[in-house]
Formats: sequence, structure tokens, C-alpha cells
Amino acid sequence: MKKLLLTLVSVLFTLSSFSQSYIKAEKVNGSSVTQVGDTLVVKLQYGDPNSLGNAKLTQFDFQYNNKLLSLVSRDWQITSSSAQKAYNSWTGYKWGGTFSTDLDGQYSDFISQSTVYGSNADWSVERVTVQDVTAFTAGGEFIQYKFKVKDKAGTNYSDYSDILYLNWGYLKQGDGTAIATEGNAKMGLTGITGGDAGDVTLKIFSNALSESAIDGTDYTYNVYLKSDIGDGNQVNQGASAVKTGNYDASGEATISGLENDTEYFVWNFIDGSQDYMDDVVTVSDLALVFAEAIGAGSTPNGSSTTFDYHIQTFMANVFHDSAFDGKVDFKDSYEILAHLQGVTSGNSNYVSKKGGAVQSGGTKSIFGTVDSNGSYFAGLDATFKPTDSNKSFQFAHVLIGDVNFSHSYQPASTSDFQISSMIIGNSPSLSAKYNPIQQNVDLTSQIVDGEVIFSINSEVVGMIGTQFNIVYDGTRLELKNVVFDTGNEMTNFANHIEEEGKINIGSFDQQFTQTVKTGTPYQLIFTPLVELSNTSGLISFKVNEGVKADGTQIKLNME
Amino acid sequence: MKKLLTLLVLLTLTSCMKDDIMEPVFVSEVPEALLIDELVGIKLESTIVSSEVRMNVKLPNDGTYRVKIRDLDNSLISQEKLTAQEGDNILSVYTSSLDKSSFTLELTDVNHNVIGRTVFVNQ
Repeated sequence: MKKLLLTLVSVLFTLSSFSQSYIKAEKVNGSSVTQVGDTLVVKLQYGDPNSLGNAKLTQFDFQYNNKLLSLVSRDWQITSSSAQKAYNSWTGYKWGGTFSTDLDGQYSDFISQSTVYGSNADWSVERVTVQDVTAFTAGGEFIQYKFKVKDKAGTNYSDYSDILYLNWGYLKQGDGTAIATEGNAKMGLTGITGGDAGDVTLKIFSNALSESAIDGTDYTYNVYLKSDIGDGNQVNQGASAVKTGNYDASGEATISGLENDTEYFVWNFIDGSQDYMDDVVTVSDLALVFAEAIGAGSTPNGSSTTFDYHIQTFMANVFHDSAFDGKVDFKDSYEILAHLQGVTSGNSNYVSKKGGAVQSGGTKSIFGTVDSNGSYFAGLDATFKPTDSNKSFQFAHVLIGDVNFSHSYQPASTSDFQISSMIIGNSPSLSAKYNPIQQNVDLTSQIVDGEVIFSINSEVVGMIGTQFNIVYDGTRLELKNVVFDTGNEMTNFANHIEEEGKINIGSFDQQFTQTVKTGTPYQLIFTPLVELSNTSGLISFKVNEGVKADGTQIKLNME
Repeated sequence: MKKLLTLLVLLTLTSCMKDDIMEPVFVSEVPEALLIDELVGIKLESTIVSSEVRMNVKLPNDGTYRVKIRDLDNSLISQEKLTAQEGDNILSVYTSSLDKSSFTLELTDVNHNVIGRTVFVNQ
């Protein structure tokens, strides 16, 4: 009933708004014109609500914004076979006066030259003339115009409220008697979406960037239409990226050619072939995963965890019993230990390493959140939609296995990302846990009795794990031996990648009770392949770190 | 006969003269590019390096010293402990396994007191 009344009021208002005969411009399909590229149909119509006239002649001008509309066609609608009809058009002109519903009044202004057209490149003028020997049918249409809605990008217009005006018009009877003529002055469109989004900025976030460990140019972006993304954020078969490229050194990329109000999805990748990829997953990550493996399920409800962030489970789950089991146990810690030892486990794993970066990410503001079902995938969503008011988007990037976020984005320490119900005690504060403490060690090389001896000397106490990634000049040195003096109960590892002149050595106590001995716990002995006067530059160090029983990373510095 | 006697006397006198002692003089073989004017310091033969470059480590005393290589943020990435003599010591820096970047080469005593620094580019 309410709707009916509303409709009646609306009809009465429309009728009363034209107490005289009228020429009006109306959208035929206004509700379906919603985005750039749509076709707008405008009808020019005659009305005589009060049966005032016997109109047989009309002429009227309207102007349309040619920056926002592109004329497609003119289609006569008048059906009288005796009607004479004509249209004229001019581009680059705009009505110089004001606009009102008093169409014949404005015609008087035009004919008296008190108002004229002036040059304006944004507007085009159409003049319609119809004459008939029989009276026009009230309510009948003279003509329809079809326009394509253009992209407002690059114009001086911020919306589509200003697209068409009736400038002047008149209706006359057969003997030339003028009929008072009204019209609607202005037409606009609202809610138009799409169009060139212009410059869209993507920015990537990772500790690797903020710590300057990685140059932003090592990241690439692949932008897909969201509709090309399927389950698990995977790209549908056959789909290809609409935009690809590299971020700049600061981790920003400016992309052009995207469309406003269109949903996209970005996959960000780091160059997995870089040497530093072997420095991503270290003994500190192993300690965190091991601690989780020990602690997991230690309460009846199975909710205990040593992790501080939801996303750490995702990053630590490097071995999958099923597609993604979301369970961190000894299989995961074993895979990381095997990686550090350079042992091939025989299992498919997801430990990030050189030649095998396993990476993920999402929109920074939601990355690392879980939904009510505990799923991580909601937080891995990297969908973005450029709009008129938003052209800038931020994304997080992580490497799987990098549980301490050394080369990954660490979520904010708020309840959206953090696990609030930590049960295991004795955890250090977050800032201490993920900001390594500094300790000094002394790493030196020297020639002794014709051999090159590389010594790691340490007075640091309390380290349940250590790792040193060492690079040597394989063209001048050959590794002869590794000497461990770390303590009887430490598990030592030495991962020698001979073809690359690398050796990663270290120790880890899986019980979290034994610590690495002080003194000279590690020595590498090399045989020179060429005559050497000294050893400067022959051996360098990439990763030097330790870890305490509570998971705190120790960055081992040299003076 | 008189001439013969004179000759014999001269020969006798000459044979009794003290010989000049011709001791060997050791000239330091420091290439011009590695000469260090100061009393101590470190100098490279070339600032732009590929694979290997000679350096002069000029020391105040015999003893043990450190030659350090630091990266852009001053982190120590390589260190040699060497025993050398007072004065010029012509040694080498091997750069094949270093990143293609620029580094600071630093000479310190065994207690990390800096004696000299220089910068090189590894390409």
C-alpha cells in the first residue's frame, strides 16, 4: 500500500511539474547504465498533459558532454509518415546562459542573441527539428540518442552528474502559434564504475626489506583478474596475468592500465635463485618449530601452542600429511633439521631455500588472521580493487619455514593476528623474541703449517643452537675437515655445498638443555689449491646466529 | 832489475792493503702503486678488483694483526689473522667468493685498534 501511494505521488508530481506542454529528455535505460562502456539511451519526448496545444512544429537544442559520452547513433521514433525531421550537430560549443525548465523562454534568449553559444571543447550541441501536418501525439517520442559512457580518467570531471542539458526549445501549432513549452534542464548519471584506474601503487612488506637484507627489485608482481583465481588462491588453468613487473628498490610498484572498480588478485614472488635464500631458514626457526612440536597437544584440549602468531603454524607446517594439515609436529622440525644438515629427507617439503622459495602473502591489513573455522586462507587473500578514492594497496610477503620472520612480514602485535591464549610459560616478550640480541664472537682465518684454518671462537653462553653459513673460495681452497668441539651431547651439522663453495655448520640440542661450549667450538681446515701468501677474502660469513632455549635469536657479531 | 824490484815492492804493498767490504744492500721491492708514505697503513694496488688484488700492509712492529673486510653497513664479513713483520708486507686480497659489491678493507692490531682503512669494489 505504501508503495502504491508513493507511486501515485510520484506520478502526480511528474504531471504537476509540467503544467504546460513540454519537451523532455529522459533516460530509457538509466538503471542499467552502471559502468564505463555501457550504452545510455536518451529519448526526446513530447508531452501535453493539459491538452494545451495542437503542436505540429518543434525545435530544440540540447548539449551533451563529449568527454563523458560518445555519440553512437540517432534513431527517429516519430511514426508519422508525413513528418519532416532533421537534426544538426556541432562539436565544441556550449550554451552560454543558465539552464531552466523554461525552454521557450530560453529560446527567446537565443533568438534575441541575449544568450549565445560559446566555444567549449567538452560539449557538443544537437539541434532537432520536426514538422508535421498532423499534430504530434502527446507522450510520443521524437528521437532517441544512444551514447557510450566514456572513462572519466584524464578528464576534468570527477563524476557523471553533468552529461546532458536541454538548452532551449519550442512547440508551435500549425499556424505558427507558440505553445508555452517547458523542459527538464539537466541529466546526469550516478554510480558509474570502471574506467582506467590510472596509477595504482602496490607496496610489499617484509622484514627482509626493512632490514635491507633484500633489495625490493627481487620481488615481482603478477596481477590477475580476481575472476581468474580459484580455490586456495590458485590461478585457474589457462588464465594469465594482466600485469606483471618488478617492485622498485623500496618495494613499491606503480601500475597503470588497471580498471577502476574491478577486482584483482596479486601474487607476489621473490627471486628464489638468490644466494640469500639459503639464509632464510636457520637454526632459530628450527628451535621455534621444535619447541612447537614438543609443546603441541600438551593439554587435553589440544589448544596449547608456543607460537605467538596464528600465521606461524602455516609457516612452520613444512611437511604436509595431507594437502595442508595445519599441524606442526616432529615431522616438520625434522624437515628443517634435514635442510640445515643438507640431508635429503626423501619427503616433499616446503622449506624455503635457494632454488625453492615457498612463498605466500596477502593484503597486509588482514594477512595472518584466521576465520571462525581457524582457516588461514581468509588472511592470505591478496584481492584489491582500485576505486576513485583508493589507488594504493599494501601486501605482506612471507617465506615458508621462516617462522621467526627474519625474511618475512611479521604481523602487528594485536589480537587480530596474535594468539591470545598462550599456555606455555616462560616465553620472553614479543619484542625480545623476534628482535635478536647481539653477542660478539671472533671468526678468523689464518695459514698454519701450510693449511688454512678458519676458527669460530665464542665466549657466548646459553646457546642451545648455533648456525654459521660460510662461503669460501672454491678455486683456491678445498675443504679438508670440520672439527667440532661443542660438547658431548650437542647434535652438530655440517652442510657442505661444494660446487658453490658453501658450508653451513652449527649445532642444536633437541632437548633444549645442553648449550654450545665456549672456546673454539668449530674449526674448518682447508687445503690450499694454489700458493697463498695470506687468506684475506678467501672465507666470508653470511649467517652467524645462535638461539636460546626460550627461542630468542642471538645475532653473533664480529668486532 | 830496478824496474822489477819496484814492481815487486808495489805488488807487496798492494797485497797488504785492507779490502773494501762490499756488503749486500737489500732494497724493499714495493711496487710504486703500493708505496705508503706514512709510517703505517694499508693500500691496495687497485681500487677496482676482480678475483685478486695485491695489498701492502705497512706495520709498526713485528706481530699479529687482523685484516678485516666489511660490507656497506659495516658488518664484518671476512677476517684474517696474520703474523707479519715491521714495515711493508706485500700480500693479497682474494675476492672471487665475495659478492659483487663495494667493501671496506681494514687493518687493525690484534685488539681491534684500527691502523688503516681503504675501500675497494669487487666486480
